[in-house]
Amino acid sequence: MPKCEKCTFFFPIPEKDMDFEPGKGDCVEQQQDTKGKFWLSKPVSENSEACQRYRPRN
Amino acid sequence: MPTTERTARLKNRCRFKHVAGGEYVDPSVKAGVERARLITQAHKENIGEPNCILRARGLENILKNITIHIQDEELIVGGNTEHPDYFPIYPELSYFSTVDMVESHYCEHKEEMREIAEYWRPYTIQRKAEKYFTPEEIGVLYSATIVQPPMFVTAFSSIVPNYESVIEDGLLKRIEVVEQKIADAETEIRESPWNAPKKLHYLDKIDQWQAMLIAMKAVVGWAQRHARLAKIIAENFLTDPKRKEELLEISEICRHVPAYPARGLKDAMQSKWFTFLLCHSIERYSSGYGHKEDKLLWPYFQKSVIDKTEQPMTREEAVELFECERLKVSEHGSTRGRQLREFFAGSNDLFILTLGGINPDGSDASNDCTNAILEAAESIITTEPSIGFRWNEKGNVETKKKVFNCIKKGFGFPSIKNDEMNTQQLIKYFNVPEEVARDWALVLCMSPGITGRRGTQKTRSEGGSDVYPAKAMEIALTNGFDEFFTNMQLGPETGNAEDFASFGQVWEAVKLQLRYAIELSLRSKDVGRIMESKYLCCPFISSIDDGCVEKGMDGNELAEVANPWHNLIGGSVVVVDSMAAIKKLVFDEKKYTMTELMDALRNNWEDKEEMRLDFWNAPKFGNDNPYVDEIATKYYDLVADEWKRNTTYSGTFPLPLAQSVAGYIVNGPKTAATANGRYAGEALDDGGISPYMGCDKNGPTSVLKSVSKINASKHKGILLNQRLSTVLMNSDAGFDIWHAYMKTWHELDIDHVQFNVISTEDMKAAQIEPEKHTDMLVRIAGYSAKFIDLARYSQDTIMARTEQDIAAG
Repeated sequence: MPKCEKCTFFFPIPEKDMDFEPGKGDCVEQQQDTKGKFWLSKPVSENSEACQRYRPRN
Repeated sequence: MPTTERTARLKNRCRFKHVAGGEYVDPSVKAGVERARLITQAHKENIGEPNCILRARGLENILKNITIHIQDEELIVGGNTEHPDYFPIYPELSYFSTVDMVESHYCEHKEEMREIAEYWRPYTIQRKAEKYFTPEEIGVLYSATIVQPPMFVTAFSSIVPNYESVIEDGLLKRIEVVEQKIADAETEIRESPWNAPKKLHYLDKIDQWQAMLIAMKAVVGWAQRHARLAKIIAENFLTDPKRKEELLEISEICRHVPAYPARGLKDAMQSKWFTFLLCHSIERYSSGYGHKEDKLLWPYFQKSVIDKTEQPMTREEAVELFECERLKVSEHGSTRGRQLREFFAGSNDLFILTLGGINPDGSDASNDCTNAILEAAESIITTEPSIGFRWNEKGNVETKKKVFNCIKKGFGFPSIKNDEMNTQQLIKYFNVPEEVARDWALVLCMSPGITGRRGTQKTRSEGGSDVYPAKAMEIALTNGFDEFFTNMQLGPETGNAEDFASFGQVWEAVKLQLRYAIELSLRSKDVGRIMESKYLCCPFISSIDDGCVEKGMDGNELAEVANPWHNLIGGSVVVVDSMAAIKKLVFDEKKYTMTELMDALRNNWEDKEEMRLDFWNAPKFGNDNPYVDEIATKYYDLVADEWKRNTTYSGTFPLPLAQSVAGYIVNGPKTAATANGRYAGEALDDGGISPYMGCDKNGPTSVLKSVSKINASKHKGILLNQRLSTVLMNSDAGFDIWHAYMKTWHELDIDHVQFNVISTEDMKAAQIEPEKHTDMLVRIAGYSAKFIDLARYSQDTIMARTEQDIAAG
């Protein structure tokens, strides 16, 4: 199974940030509904198994 | 019209979270579960730690892990839940409120949330506080009939955050200060010789400071998460260069604030918004938008808009930013139980900011930032946030014209408070230094409290309980027993009205019923305050108060500046008019006996129309009639004296505040027929001293004269609703006539006034074709609502108010 680390929507947290932990990143998702577009971000571990939204990074 | 295409689009797609009939109007609104899930997880992992640390770890876990979001075109970012359509749940507060929400259709994670609710049940402040009351007292409190249910079951609170300290210092500087406090305490503890009485208190303080550090660091990290998200969107999801540039600037701003002091208006607005979210809805739920916004933002407005030295922007861009703020508030979701959703009919929550007044040095505090905020309110047309305006003789006419412009458009706000009177009251009753008192803002709808870096109100346990006077009078006639609604003994046995041989006995029974209700509600507030201090510590809120940092104390516990007030919700004028009718028709003229009156009231005036009209036509408050106004004076003095008998948590006596929110509508159906000629179930009087609907027939000046006979200085506020003619207000002479009316109002030393300016014709049209009147706002009492979001019954109460022609007054 692919891991979040390889997903195009995974963004590692910079070391200088307060919530930095090794292997932790932001999973960012664009959503759109009748009221408009918005983006969600939640923390994930690079070693987590990827979800259905997985898209491999080029 | 919104001033820019952006704010027009943002308004068009705004995720409003208003309620009507106790339900959210927008079907997309849902209960978010992440906050509840994360605070529960942290509680399980840290149980055994001191409560302040436990609470700090809960906040930290939320801020580190909750899903954050940014919406397209936003200029101010950040929300309180995992999705912009959601509102959060607070399982640590009240078991009943949590279950109410979990079992509603708003919650889509029922199994998980039921488990969370059960986990918290023994830890909730509801469970902790209930045991200090008898089952009978709990029955009275929870019946919501003569007093508002206590905070520990409604979970309702309000707060005035110390925005100044965050915006001026930045959290990193405050972290340094707290770290130094811990280091100093550690040193003192180790000084020779050992002295327990002088050293042991440091243990609690060190825990509090440690909790503050955890909280502040988590907040800086949470802001950085927003900074990262904005940058990621700009660099990975967008092609529009203008929006990319905006998002990169937003990213830079979120990296700068609240960690560092605000540089210009953009920083200040974002820092204020983050602080608002944390204090009002992430660390715990608290209603309100209490701050003196024009004073707080004026230095940054000057730098950005006038001097253009930091984050330069045009004045139009500043107005757009204030419009964006109003839309963010409109989207902000609050979770409240059904009783409170019904109590704030047509609104999202109670959000009221304050403008105007004077500066600490006595000069006019209205400035061009005040004007820009008012212009934004006028152009974007949202019910929230409402605005309270401090009317001072020194206030400039230009700003007062902008206040008038909002009022004449029918928004119902700004509501107007007498600046000199309310400032003097803070000085006289609460020993606030004059220069501090001059910076007051409304704590929630009506009550002034101080703003600034320390001593602001951190919990509504400081005040704000509700007593329902019309019900108190009803049961004063029936030996304290509620025959009409609950079939419960709601108060002490003070005799049956049939046995009252004098008007004095009626007064005595009313007094004793009010006394019981007042004391029970005060005790429930103060017991709740102790539970909040012990179990509901708020380390972030404490960390931004200079007093809490200095003393190493939680904000719930520390009461540096006492400010206790408690509400008389709706019905005061029903009591006054009823007492006048009883005095005249039973005791003076002896036309009817008390037995005949009680028989008529119990049977809702059935087959007694002639008698009902006698009572309905008895002297009514609001007509400058000395007979009834004398009773009104006695009643308002009596309630002030009754509250004054008590000493609350903060060490002083509370003042009454007569107002109604939508309680005059909600409590009407719980109240039997009354001696003012009102039928059972009909609405009560809409305000704190508004004449009963349709009973003020001698013009607006007579209303003001009646109101001016009450000694308002003994009260924290007395809400007066007036409905003015749309034709007159929109005429060329509209401002001059209204200004003259306000001058009279001010000279008569009246505390408050607010206006509905909307014609009956337009309201009837909106009832028929609501889709064509989506921007029609009306004033309820203390807040405004979209007319079409109100139930028909509530709409009719607005139309029934007397439309005054102030030109003729």
